[in-house]
Amino acid sequence: MKKFFVQICDISVFSLRFFKEVVVPPYEVGEFAGHLANFGLRSLPLVSVIGLLMGLILSLQTKPVLARFGAESFLPVMVAVSVVRELGPVITALVVAGRVSSGIGAEIGSMKVTEQIDALEVSSVDPYRFLVVPRVLAGIVALPLLTAYADLLAVIGSFAIIYVSGGMGWQLFMTSTVTSLSFADIVPGIGKTFFFGFVISTIGAYFGFKAEGGTASVGRAATSAVVFASFLILIADFVLVKIGILIFE
Amino acid sequence: MIDIIDLHKSFGGLEVLSGLNLTVGRGETFAVLGKSGTGKSVMLKCVVGLLVPDSGVVIVDSIRVDANSRKALAQIRQEIGFLFQSGALYDSMSVRENLVFNLTRHRRVDPEDANVKAEHYLTLVGLEDAIDKMPSELSGGMKKRAALARALVIEPQILLYDEPTTGLDPMTSSEIGELMKKMHQKFNITAIVVTHDILCAGIVSGRAGVLQDGILKYTGTLNDLAKLEDEAVAGFFRNPL
Repeated sequence: MKKFFVQICDISVFSLRFFKEVVVPPYEVGEFAGHLANFGLRSLPLVSVIGLLMGLILSLQTKPVLARFGAESFLPVMVAVSVVRELGPVITALVVAGRVSSGIGAEIGSMKVTEQIDALEVSSVDPYRFLVVPRVLAGIVALPLLTAYADLLAVIGSFAIIYVSGGMGWQLFMTSTVTSLSFADIVPGIGKTFFFGFVISTIGAYFGFKAEGGTASVGRAATSAVVFASFLILIADFVLVKIGILIFE
Repeated sequence: MIDIIDLHKSFGGLEVLSGLNLTVGRGETFAVLGKSGTGKSVMLKCVVGLLVPDSGVVIVDSIRVDANSRKALAQIRQEIGFLFQSGALYDSMSVRENLVFNLTRHRRVDPEDANVKAEHYLTLVGLEDAIDKMPSELSGGMKKRAALARALVIEPQILLYDEPTTGLDPMTSSEIGELMKKMHQKFNITAIVVTHDILCAGIVSGRAGVLQDGILKYTGTLNDLAKLEDEAVAGFFRNPL
């Protein structure tokens, strides 16, 4: 138990250091661009499939239930609100954590065990500034964009189910969806993904830096990163939802 | 140039260095011999500030490494080249980028000049054809050469070698040793070579010491050390090939 709390403190110190280092030059613009592409563009195919499936499955599951109450016309509203407020941000974050957090953990962990991080330090390069800051920034920028994209695809997926079952045309569907979404749905939904993006990259980097010994520790770093990041995303989601409700409703 | 005074370093209750003393003069190459796990790499990492000693003093070029700020340490490191046991080439960069990285980043060398320098040092180590290869495409010996070129390209006053010939065949070890010696003479480099390869130590160093029980138990020329009857030392000189 003591070890767990020590690790939590360690992770907090590691994470908070980002806010100090991010303002200190030199700014790693090239590194940031590279990691943004890795975090964002390379996650696109996965996020596309997940986003679309999210809309399709949610509509398929909900349609018969709403039909029971004669409320089928509420399907676009229900899907849009569920996706934008909750499912889109959380599922996208969890899926991206599986890909990116483990990748960062393995990459930095492998650099650690092969002394590349020591080599950076000997070259007077601060490894935190060079390796962590650009990755975390990329996470903070990319995840909200990926989530918005996943939300859009989920809505399209939902329309596909409704259209095929002959329920509604595109114009009516869009009017119904857009008018149902308010500021209080979109802002908390997208807002928390900035934090999720921060968590995904920071946790991956933290476990990478903690790797020591041989290649087995690199595998452990990758696994720990994805498990811990997923866990933290869900805990943070609970807290952020509560805060969102207090602020917006 | 390098002074280590009463250096102590422990890991979780295990004392690895227990009062180590060493002085290496400007332009001198000193070899540190010792069995695996005796603290040779720990000593090197204390010299470059990668590890903080529990107690003792490390002075490099009149500046205390053990008691300086991060900024001062960065300044000292500008004068130090470090060859890691594994080479530690950045595997996301090509060989050229590995060399150019440090030049353009800290020394504000123009990228074109940095490229010329990188090509020059890779030619010196015989790797001009591998300049655009990735580290994963290089053999063990080529990686060591590329890492040596990376350490040299910043034109350091001091070079620290951590097992420069480990894992290499005797022929390649000799070649790397000869290369190191040539570079030291050409640029008047002060060097500490941590090794258990007596062939390499014989080629590069004037003086050597045996690290045992956390201290440099014996120091002298390799000929002096070869005459010692201590089994731990004699083992290095038995069947060097």
